[in-house]
Amino acid sequence: MAEAAAFETDFWKDANLRKVWDDIVPGEPRKTIPYTLTRQAVELYCRAVGETHPLYFDEAYARTTRYGGLIAPPSIHILLMFSCTPADDWMRSPGTINAGQSWSYNIPARPDDVITLQARALDKFIKRERLFVVHDNVFFNGKGDVVCSGRGWTIRPV
Amino acid sequence: MTNVFENLNAGDGIEGPQFAVTRESIRLFCDASLDYNPLHLDDEFMKGSFGQTQFGGVIMHGMNNFGLISRMITDWAYPRDAVHRRLETRWVKPVQPGDTIRPSGIIRSKQETAKSRWVLIDVVVRNQHDERVATGEAMVEFPKAISP
Repeated sequence: MAEAAAFETDFWKDANLRKVWDDIVPGEPRKTIPYTLTRQAVELYCRAVGETHPLYFDEAYARTTRYGGLIAPPSIHILLMFSCTPADDWMRSPGTINAGQSWSYNIPARPDDVITLQARALDKFIKRERLFVVHDNVFFNGKGDVVCSGRGWTIRPV
Repeated sequence: MTNVFENLNAGDGIEGPQFAVTRESIRLFCDASLDYNPLHLDDEFMKGSFGQTQFGGVIMHGMNNFGLISRMITDWAYPRDAVHRRLETRWVKPVQPGDTIRPSGIIRSKQETAKSRWVLIDVVVRNQHDERVATGEAMVEFPKAISP
């Protein structure tokens, strides 16, 4: 697997290449790409949600804790979901509405970890005329340890 | 720290940080999460209809709520030698620029298992009108033996 190219921020680009609700096959793996989590990416994420805990910024402090060094906040999977999937992934379809998510945390991700993702649609259904897809995801660090696992419910664009 | 778990009670409250939502905060979250869905950026797009739903303008990422709740949980757990183990959320109402939101939590129950101890927390995010915009449940572990 190759590292991701420069991230395409225009989600309209090649939108027609992405799977629509009808194309999504529950159980079928999604394409994923490894991503090296940088300290800068962790710090930018922290800034966006106002995280100030020194475990994420202060290496000298972090070394004195049970974690033994800098870690990322548990919710860093919010970034990893997009950094570990390619531009044609259906999660980027404009109008995708996030209805809710649940995540379990095993060990923290850390700066310089090479993160990989195993992901798939788990289920799809129609409720009150809305098209839902349930997605299922597990992130691993470079040693193959589970970082976190989670499930999300999205309403697909029509 | 050994008495921390024992001293927690159902009904104990946890207060999270207030967060002012602006176009800039939403744009920063786009850059930090790499989620550039036009729902969060494109006013023209948001004039449209989304199936059964109309928003009337750009909306904050639902996962921004998630990040704020997670921040509240970790800020509460770290000084207690506890570990944030799970968070489940549902989005109840869209959040838009100009809103001010704040997460909070209430301990629902405690439970001991064969090898550890757990606190279950009901979480909610409310806007400036005291309306619920997100709800959920969190699970925090108080390990008997210290490990990440």
